[in-house]
Amino acid sequence: MSVINKAKEKSNYKARIKRSLRRFYAQRWLQLFAILGFVYILIFNYLPMLGIQIAFKSYKPSMGFKGMFTAPLARNYGFYHFISFFKDPNFSIVMRNTVGLSLMKLFFSFPVPILFALALNEMRHIKIKRIVQTVSYLPHFISWVIVYGILFSFLNTSNGVINSLLQSLGKEKMEFLTGKEYYYTIAVISDIWKEMGWWSIIFLAAISGIDQTQYEAAKVDGASRFRCIWSITLPNIKSTIMIVLILAIGSLIRGGMGGSNFDQSYLLGNSLNYERSVTLPYYVYEMGLAQQRFSYATAIGLFQSVISLLLVLISNYVSDKLTGSSLF
Amino acid sequence: MLATYKNKRIKRSTEDYIIDFVVAIIVCFVFFVTVYPFWYCIVLSFNEGTDALRGGIYFWPRKFTLENYNAVIGIDYIPTAFMVSVARTLLGTVLCVVFTGLFAFAISHKKLMGRKIYITAMIIIMYFSGGLIPQYMLYKTMGLMNSFWVYIIPNLFSAFNAVIMMNAFREIPDSLEEAAIIDGANDMRVFFQIVFPISMPTMATMALYSGVWHWNTWTDSAFFISNKSLKTLSNVMINLINQSESAAQTMVGNINQSQVTYTAMTLRPAAMIICVIPIAIVYPFLQKHFVKGVMLGSIK
Repeated sequence: MSVINKAKEKSNYKARIKRSLRRFYAQRWLQLFAILGFVYILIFNYLPMLGIQIAFKSYKPSMGFKGMFTAPLARNYGFYHFISFFKDPNFSIVMRNTVGLSLMKLFFSFPVPILFALALNEMRHIKIKRIVQTVSYLPHFISWVIVYGILFSFLNTSNGVINSLLQSLGKEKMEFLTGKEYYYTIAVISDIWKEMGWWSIIFLAAISGIDQTQYEAAKVDGASRFRCIWSITLPNIKSTIMIVLILAIGSLIRGGMGGSNFDQSYLLGNSLNYERSVTLPYYVYEMGLAQQRFSYATAIGLFQSVISLLLVLISNYVSDKLTGSSLF
Repeated sequence: MLATYKNKRIKRSTEDYIIDFVVAIIVCFVFFVTVYPFWYCIVLSFNEGTDALRGGIYFWPRKFTLENYNAVIGIDYIPTAFMVSVARTLLGTVLCVVFTGLFAFAISHKKLMGRKIYITAMIIIMYFSGGLIPQYMLYKTMGLMNSFWVYIIPNLFSAFNAVIMMNAFREIPDSLEEAAIIDGANDMRVFFQIVFPISMPTMATMALYSGVWHWNTWTDSAFFISNKSLKTLSNVMINLINQSESAAQTMVGNINQSQVTYTAMTLRPAAMIICVIPIAIVYPFLQKHFVKGVMLGSIK
């Protein structure tokens, strides 16, 4: 009995393999495309993830790529670099700037596109509405380098627009680009300027998807325009707002929806406003590529990635529980 | 909605006027704030440099000249950087769309063996990455440092684009593909001759997305390239913007120093405009397709 069963199983097993192979052969082209992409991801995304282990090791650039896997473990059970980051005199500055800027960007950059979309939606001249909307997301497609150039042209002390105006008004010039007290304001405003129109597209699209009969019914009941915005438009785009909020919180450390923390720190930062301009993504670059402290920089980078991931998961979970809208 | 307002024009309340007024102010403000910085750069770039230093130019050039543009093109590294940027944008975009497209095409088939593994691998990299240093070491080991290919090869695949393309490919009726297969076409031909043309709006969006990114990005050039003849335009722009007035005079070769009228103040916007022109050219296409693209990307 059991011998027969075993034989049967064996032939079943063989048949299954044969069937799988045949199926695989039938889709060999698709498999080729998928495997090409898969191998590419393995090399360019997952191999670097394995490289994260140097955060726990005493790795030196001279050890080469292989050295990332063979370098000796760092002190304190491998947590040496993390501990030294927490003890780093710059730690509190970096964290304050990163958290502060990110929260300010979330607080200001997030509601502005919603308000702008609501305003545009109330605009009754369709042509003007279309022109302003089209113009409003042009800055999204411009490099941060160019935005920096524009800021420079407007804010520099020798011939910037703002300072020329201040001077002609008989006021004193302001050191916008080097004074650390201006950095947060400039960073937040330029972030809003660049991304507002772009994110309003999503909200406008959501608004245009609202069933118009709701408005007509409300009007019959005598609802005012403001009441319509408050009680029909906003509740209808709630799930869109939540999804954008998750995205914004998820990318908080990188600098919110524009992901601008690094670009801003690098371009707008200088030795005079360093105390306000340095953020986590920039510090990783500074420690790693500028100062060649690879293990240390990777530890900071990992710290940043883990926080980002946690933020995505937490905001996703909270939104799922509260409103039922989630990314995954 | 427009029609209803028109019919009931007599009935407009104070609230209507207030809302219209506030909306008009917001819209005008946004328009001005967005357009003026670009306009100011254009004005400045067409104005004589030494004249501009006297100040007072806000809305129209005072002494019109094309010399700033001449001077920018005369800076030895600008034409090279421009060509590098053009090359990386064209090559990088085509290769990225094809490579990502093929992968997306494969995983859009439910019957694909191992589909779950491929998709999971793709989703994870959207939320987690190895970070700067391991990447740097990888490129160094692969010999991509100081090579033009560092612009192309690490950007062949985009998980974000792959998800959007996959969703677009799913919409295509299976019968189309099956018919082609029965007629003897292989999946390669199906992709290039059926799926790609049918999904043209999506593919165009992805190409524009990738193209704009390639044109604008400056970090890879700053991190991985030290050879000046391989720098991209957006990267060398940083140096140019930071150039002081005194240095600007000597930046341009082959020009009689005594006749120089450009200054850093006017060179800067001229270079910026040159950098923005390609974006401005594709902008009409961008805004036509992108509205759809951003919707596809954010709400899966």
